[in-house]
Amino acid sequence: MLYRTVGQFKTSYHADHALFPVKQDAWLLGFILLIAFVVLPATANEFVFNALLIPVLVYALAALGLNILTGYAGQLSLGTGAFMGVGAYACYKLVTIFPELNIVVAIALSGFFSAAVGVAFGLPSLRIKGFYLAIATLAAQFFLVWLFEKWAWLYNYNSSGAIQVPNIDMFGLTVAGPNAKAVVQYYFVLCVVCLITWFAINITRGRIGRIWKSVRDMDIAAELVGINLMKAKLSAFAVSSYIVGVAGALFVFLWRGAAEPVLFDIPLSFRVLFIVIIGGMGSILGNYLGAVLIVALPVLISFVPGALGLPVSSAMVEHLNTMIVGATIIGFLILEPHGLARLWAIIREKLVIWPFPH
Amino acid sequence: MKTLMRKSALLPAVFALAAALGASPALAEDAVNVTNLSYRTGPFAATGTPLMNGQRDYMLMLNERDGGVNGVKLVYDECETGYNTEKGAECYEKTKGSSIVTQPWSTGITLQVLPKSNVDKIPILAPGYGFSPMSDGKVFQWAFNPPASYWDGASMILKNISEGNLDSLKGKKIVLLHLDAPYGKEPIPLLQAYAEKYGFTLLPIPVGVKEMQNQSAQWLQIRRERPDFVLMWGWGAMNVGAVTEAAKTKFPMDKFVGIWWSGHDGDMKSVGEAGKGYRSISWSLPHSESSVMQDIKKYVLDAKKAEIGEGEFDWVFYQRGVLISMFTVEGIKAAQAHFNTKVVSAEQLRWGLENLKLDEAALKAIGMDGMIAPFSTACNNHAGHAGGWMLQWDGAKFVKVSDHITADAEMIDPLVQTEAKKYAEANAPWPINEECKM
Repeated sequence: MLYRTVGQFKTSYHADHALFPVKQDAWLLGFILLIAFVVLPATANEFVFNALLIPVLVYALAALGLNILTGYAGQLSLGTGAFMGVGAYACYKLVTIFPELNIVVAIALSGFFSAAVGVAFGLPSLRIKGFYLAIATLAAQFFLVWLFEKWAWLYNYNSSGAIQVPNIDMFGLTVAGPNAKAVVQYYFVLCVVCLITWFAINITRGRIGRIWKSVRDMDIAAELVGINLMKAKLSAFAVSSYIVGVAGALFVFLWRGAAEPVLFDIPLSFRVLFIVIIGGMGSILGNYLGAVLIVALPVLISFVPGALGLPVSSAMVEHLNTMIVGATIIGFLILEPHGLARLWAIIREKLVIWPFPH
Repeated sequence: MKTLMRKSALLPAVFALAAALGASPALAEDAVNVTNLSYRTGPFAATGTPLMNGQRDYMLMLNERDGGVNGVKLVYDECETGYNTEKGAECYEKTKGSSIVTQPWSTGITLQVLPKSNVDKIPILAPGYGFSPMSDGKVFQWAFNPPASYWDGASMILKNISEGNLDSLKGKKIVLLHLDAPYGKEPIPLLQAYAEKYGFTLLPIPVGVKEMQNQSAQWLQIRRERPDFVLMWGWGAMNVGAVTEAAKTKFPMDKFVGIWWSGHDGDMKSVGEAGKGYRSISWSLPHSESSVMQDIKKYVLDAKKAEIGEGEFDWVFYQRGVLISMFTVEGIKAAQAHFNTKVVSAEQLRWGLENLKLDEAALKAIGMDGMIAPFSTACNNHAGHAGGWMLQWDGAKFVKVSDHITADAEMIDPLVQTEAKKYAEANAPWPINEECKM
């Protein structure tokens, strides 16, 4: 009923290749964008922006970057946290060396630093595969975090070893730093995330995306049909690290406001990897679903005892939270091993034929 | 771009819940909310828990004994951070609408919330921790680190180990074994300044959070270097790891000195006799017979309002937690008197914390004489610089082994001023309290 595709004919190849061959998808997206751009900013308070909306968007973007590498090109990486760190520190150096630089330009440029580092650590992928590659990226993780700690130039010789985001204006509006309004930061992050998502959708369903998928599915076969594996793998590392780097810059500049090296350590990499696995490998929608589950759910659960008036101490809530989130992850993976994106795809298929399944 | 779809479909419900809860704290009449960003979970829980218990129990005791502060109930809530800066920032956002004070309980979280304090106008109370230059109240109008900063602590330790004659440190080698986090790095600039002036060698040895429990590499280095003293800025599982390793490698304990957060009874108990001789500087003294501690025992612990661990009552950390809550309460009292009001706001509490007058008589009146050195704060002095005492582990408990020691203001003040200025410049536009003429 709601999702009836009957009667939606395509009369040209162009129409068949459209982003939304089914009209309802476009409507649904439009509705969601309306909520994201109009309804939420009008109703959310600062806590909702800073603890739910902005982190979900930033983590979803980081997961999107990793998903391109792992889900689309099949190269397992455990260095996401460190690559986010490269983006964040690059952005910090750019902003402090060139205070006049527009923050958008700084963030866009910082992605290139991360992409370069990603390609350098991606080189071993030409020889090693699977778990062995994961170990190689793990080396990147440890090395880069060590570098963030030891290379004092990166944090401008600050005695505490942490980086602090100064107040940054853009067109007369403070977008980063302590004086920035949460709603402004939200719009900033939302716009960047939408732009990159649009780019990611198009790159993954085009020629390059198909090359990546063929490498993922069987790289020998891909090589036999004339695909240059080196170009394919390194381009995946570059694009993925670029997005991860931008996510890292947003992570510190538009959300956290300050960062210490240990923040980019392996737990962050795992967190992003969990989002990808739970959301769904090789899917773009999955990153958002995964981020909601991993990032927003614990925050919401912590409110439940208070709302019900249960006298549970906050330490106990934290313990319960860990257990509930862990159980939810296992539950979802048993229910649908291919992630939440696949779950939505199944629901959507059912909706299309509902109420007459035959 | 179907990507955003599911996310937002979930959000409205989610968000209604959070909005309803995050913004509207259920406050009874005539109550002030003093939330603590606690950590009773995670790798630092062992040292955090007794402090949080002490803080909680002092508040509970006042509520039970006096009905709060001048008739205003103290609502003591906790928000669990697990010493994680990300959780800490989340807790800050969650509590800033209701709590009149932010107690970040970690140098990392303090650094995170410090820039926001000017905007949100909630005082940060970081007793004995946080960013040392915060003692410059003109620059850090909203941050307080009474009764002493880490730089005070470093200065006091050097004074004590040189037996009052810093020139005797010439040619010596001092290792700083520190947690590789903003907290552990705090004393380095001051110790370096001291090393230059008095001609000793300073060797910082960092301990990563991951290697806290196994410090064999660090202690191997210490054995090779043969330092004259090892100073420790450790926390959580790092303290017990260091003391165990020192005992194992037979490092002379009387040359091993910790900051006040590295003097935890629970940590030392696990090495017992082997830790005998270990010293730790402290701005607080445990005094279980003082009237405030007896009242806590009577109104809270014996009345089963709260529970603490076996023997915890006598611990340095538990009683330090009590003192920390006292700072908040005395700030509230000062603000109540000055503004002639009952329920103080965050901005009024800022005034109160800036005008703490804890002299002998005031400490006696609240039953805390002998637990802390008298001090007062002012608009240019947010630390108070109370000084402290050296405590030594005798195999079963910490005992006082020195007279009252004060920090060396001549060394610290110039550094505080330059670092505070640097911070303000890096975070421009940063408001400076021009009204303060002190």
